[in-house]
Amino acid sequence: MDVYRITKEPIDVASALIDIADDRAGAQALFLGTVRNEFEGRSSRGLYYDAYEPLAEKELRRIGEELKQEFGALHVVLIHRIGDLPLGVVSVLVAVSTGHRGEAFAAAREGIDRIKLRVPIWKKEHWGNGQDAWHHDPEAFPAK
Amino acid sequence: MNPSTMTVHTLFFSFAADRMNGRHKTLDLPQGTTLGDMVRQYLEPALGPDSRNWLYSVNEEWASWETQLKNGDEIAVIPPVSGG
Repeated sequence: MDVYRITKEPIDVASALIDIADDRAGAQALFLGTVRNEFEGRSSRGLYYDAYEPLAEKELRRIGEELKQEFGALHVVLIHRIGDLPLGVVSVLVAVSTGHRGEAFAAAREGIDRIKLRVPIWKKEHWGNGQDAWHHDPEAFPAK
Repeated sequence: MNPSTMTVHTLFFSFAADRMNGRHKTLDLPQGTTLGDMVRQYLEPALGPDSRNWLYSVNEEWASWETQLKNGDEIAVIPPVSGG
């Protein structure tokens, strides 16, 4: 089965692998994005994620359909967590099953790249010094 | 309501919400206003010129500059995204 979801709850990795299971599949690829302790050399205490949920879930579904069309993905799970996330936790999951490994790697790679490019989700960095900054805010990240 | 005007609901996210001091605004607009008109006349003064290059949705679907707004529409202002 396919799953396209924005959630405030922890992402259940094991259930995503069950969701993409298929006897026709020779490969499953799983990508997890996790909360990192720095951004461009500045220390970070964690991230806050916001989303425009109805449009974000529609766009996740569209990306999943593209992965099926372009890479022959049999099943796709795309889940993004929102809210305040501490260091180390999973913020985004991409899981695909395909006939062979090449398509699985390619589909997972395109899946996360298209999520980052298109889905209406925003992250705010909680800097180590106590300040906060939305990514892409030109006042917080001046052009270099 | 004045028949020559319509009311639309606007949603703001990320740093656009900071600039607007809130995530929701209700705007009364002249009938016939397009999305592009609304952005240029009502949002750009607060959001800055970059807002012309952002994406927008109307009623939970991506919308173009020429989209004619209607009474009761929900418009979302989508500054550059940063998921992942």
